[in-house]
Amino acid sequence: MMPLWRHARVIAAVCCLGAVAVSCNPQTSAKPNPPADAVVQTKADSKSLERAARRAYDGAPPVIPHGNLGASCVACHSAKGIQFGEMGFAPPMPHETSPGKGPGKFARCTQCHVFKETDEVFVENSFAGLQQDLRRGSRQNPLAPPVMPHPVFMRENCAACHTGPAAREEIRCTHPERGRCNQCHVAPVTQTEF
Amino acid sequence: MSDIPRRTFLKVLGTTSAASCGIAAFSCDDRREAEKIAATQAALTPEQLTWGKAPCRYCGTGCGVEVGVKDNRIMAVRGDTASPVNRGLLCVKGYHLPAMLYGKDRLLYPQLRQPDGSLKRISWDEALDLVASKFKGALEEHGPESVAVYGSGQWTIFDGYTALKWVKGGMRSNNLEPNARLCMASAVMGFVTQFQSDEPMGCYDDFEFGDDFIFWGHNVAEMHPVLFSRILETKRKKPGSRIIDLATRRTATSDYADMYIEFRPGGDLALANGILHLLVKNDQVDHAFIKENLVFKRGIEDPAVIGYGCYEDQADRYVFKEEMKDASFEELKTFLADYTPERVSELSGVSVAQIEALAKVYGDNKRGTVSTWCMGVNQHYRGTWMNNLITDLHLITGKIGRPGSNPFSMTGQPAACGTVREVGTLCNRLPSDRVVTNPEHRAETEKIWGLPEGTISEKPGYHAVDMFRAMQRGDIKCMWIQTTNPWVTLPNLHRFERKPGDGRFIVVSDIYPTPTTEVADLILPAAGWVEREGMFGNSERRTQHWDKLIDPPGEAKEDAWQMIQVARRMGMGHLFPWPEDDWHRPMFEEYRSFTVGNGKDLATYEQLRATRGLVWPVVDGKETRYRYAAGFDPYVKKKSGVHFYKAKGYGEKAAFWLRPYNPPPESPDTEFPYWLCTGRVLEHWHTGSMTRRVKELQQAVPSAYVEINRADAQDLGLKDGDWVRVTSRRGELKLRAKVDGRGKPPRGSLFIPFFDEHLLVNVLTLDAMCNISYQPDYKKCAVKIERA
Repeated sequence: MMPLWRHARVIAAVCCLGAVAVSCNPQTSAKPNPPADAVVQTKADSKSLERAARRAYDGAPPVIPHGNLGASCVACHSAKGIQFGEMGFAPPMPHETSPGKGPGKFARCTQCHVFKETDEVFVENSFAGLQQDLRRGSRQNPLAPPVMPHPVFMRENCAACHTGPAAREEIRCTHPERGRCNQCHVAPVTQTEF
Repeated sequence: MSDIPRRTFLKVLGTTSAASCGIAAFSCDDRREAEKIAATQAALTPEQLTWGKAPCRYCGTGCGVEVGVKDNRIMAVRGDTASPVNRGLLCVKGYHLPAMLYGKDRLLYPQLRQPDGSLKRISWDEALDLVASKFKGALEEHGPESVAVYGSGQWTIFDGYTALKWVKGGMRSNNLEPNARLCMASAVMGFVTQFQSDEPMGCYDDFEFGDDFIFWGHNVAEMHPVLFSRILETKRKKPGSRIIDLATRRTATSDYADMYIEFRPGGDLALANGILHLLVKNDQVDHAFIKENLVFKRGIEDPAVIGYGCYEDQADRYVFKEEMKDASFEELKTFLADYTPERVSELSGVSVAQIEALAKVYGDNKRGTVSTWCMGVNQHYRGTWMNNLITDLHLITGKIGRPGSNPFSMTGQPAACGTVREVGTLCNRLPSDRVVTNPEHRAETEKIWGLPEGTISEKPGYHAVDMFRAMQRGDIKCMWIQTTNPWVTLPNLHRFERKPGDGRFIVVSDIYPTPTTEVADLILPAAGWVEREGMFGNSERRTQHWDKLIDPPGEAKEDAWQMIQVARRMGMGHLFPWPEDDWHRPMFEEYRSFTVGNGKDLATYEQLRATRGLVWPVVDGKETRYRYAAGFDPYVKKKSGVHFYKAKGYGEKAAFWLRPYNPPPESPDTEFPYWLCTGRVLEHWHTGSMTRRVKELQQAVPSAYVEINRADAQDLGLKDGDWVRVTSRRGELKLRAKVDGRGKPPRGSLFIPFFDEHLLVNVLTLDAMCNISYQPDYKKCAVKIERA
């Protein structure tokens, strides 16, 4: 029951990608894709560790890494984010911020993102979560744009993580000025059939 | 940044960086902690996991989640974008579901309490033999009234059906109760008294179709967050849609309300009557609808006759006999004459202007009105009455049974509807709207079960609070508690203190140690959530199935299996004649036969496996979004309007109940000058036995606190975080004060959440209850507060 528009978008993007690939480089189009598990694992740098420490698993909403500032979250986590000098960068949000007159479904940030009031735990827990997938998206041919290696639901704003000060080296976009990412990069269909 | 001076900002960051990884400084400690976490995480891609579907384990919303499994362990979840309930979104509890199963103190083996109080590991065979012999012994020596099973709205349909068949069809006792008696019994009795069939007519689509959303005494933003998100999205897309928050304290919900209306505890009874008064007076009622679809009823109304089930004379075996009388629209007019806006304002604390505004909302027939409620209305000394009154507002205006206009009861537990209300794991109920007091219903049940006529007892068993009172007295000798934690949740907890070895035998099945396992004689390890196959039924009548996705740890077993094994050992194996390795499907098909043709038709097992759940009645494979509504419900043959076809006793019409105001059982006085309300917080679910073991949730809200109004705190010389002692006539509790937290009680009012097993608010609460549903009132009693 995936919304129709999303199907349409994926299909359109696939067609477009196919057409580009065929016209540019017809002889390589039959080549197999790089294996899906061609994972580029970087060393556990501070940024990776910091990111992991804020999440139960990759895909979980991060806990809020600062105290309650008593202000609206979007005041700082705005469309472009804000640099607070040496204190760090308040990145924009990867999901939509409900434009319009009313609050919208993502209005209540603390529904998913919670503050951390203590370091204490109630009982130790042995849960081991999925780590971030730093694989580069697979390409149809060496010149083709990679497909997105992660689902895009609630990560529609690619710029939040792939551009700006919050973007890590490994996933930083080389051409942010192009704007419409899904013109060339298609998202995996994550809908599982059960 | 302009709002926050830089110094303050730094200070906030400084004070929290020890507790979290600060924005700028990622300290050595943080790095060590992060490395520890990273070491436990596996570098896998989502495609390398096997994904399965399941409804969320926690609340009654029933959000769909996809569960990612690798090597028999859950590594991630994601909101199921194919689920019509949540459309991909979850709340913080849902996102952190996987860790819930991996607390280091999972119960792994059956353990028997020794005379010195210690626990000894025993085998399943020994454990099951022991339970069977204890139940058998009690039955033989003291009869069916001496045994009891206390279950849960978190039981799967399989667990509930097994318990029902074993207790009522096998042991011939009706002492089967769920914790849901503490949670939605008033909603059951509300729907049953008005439609002679439980559960709402509307569905979650109402949150898009409606214009005005009126929350009667519940904090939707925190307790049903994903549904609240849907309503907020409607507010964005549909200009003019409004949220009206009727409450006894300001909460996160109030922040988004177009109208916040604060009433005095118990004042809701007067308020609803006040709105009815104005609707009738201004003739904003739907006369054609009334003529075609309503009958008028009233019952006993004198508080002196009814009582509250808590004082000495009613403290044991509180059973109230309602006497139903016919009434009429004319009689209603006379009845409502007393509820002028001025008098209602006095009783409820709501201003006359606000009462008039509410009447205008309900009276506007061009706008869709959705009234929702949960624990504020259900955990109420007149909970059934309040349920009746809210539905009355919709009946008298004809705002019912159409998209965007319905009374809608939100459920607290994931299967309070699916298991408790539909299977009927209550002391007076049988599957699919049947009751033990009706000979036809008993006969139908006995026929489906293949049992001789007269097997099922016609006498209702003890309701939950009475069940524990009976155990305290010694009338119940043997009790099995599953998937619930009564030694945290029962009101007036001090009444139920017990020591093992007092002649009773208590078995507790759970996944973690709790205050309830502490008083158990035998502890059995349970399989949780997706460690077994299951089905839940959510607030909107949606039945959802999940497959077993991982193995339970140690020797943990699912609740239903535990009961089936004991039944077999008691010579009741004929009740469960299915093969050991494939009993879920045939059991469900047998249960389903109770529902087909009864207006509560469930989908087939195969259909439920293949879908994200279906909303019953499911007829010819199609779900029914709106019950009783022409064009939606296949049971309705009319071309338009509604048909309350289940209410045979009312001539297939709905009953409008005249329900008066009654004062609360205990109100603040000079000695105990504060109201006390209890409830939940977003991050913790019920008694916290699951959510407190999840790091992110526990660290967000580590322990219980008492919310107090800033002005009251100033009068008492208290500031946020100070230790205080809260005392009621029943007990006292020392905890920290919270001033200007997420909830802001009005002056003279306190709030304490109940998730903290070390700070038990229920030692303070009063065990008063609704006279019809026997659901206790956790929302109002009198206390005092002082610096500790």
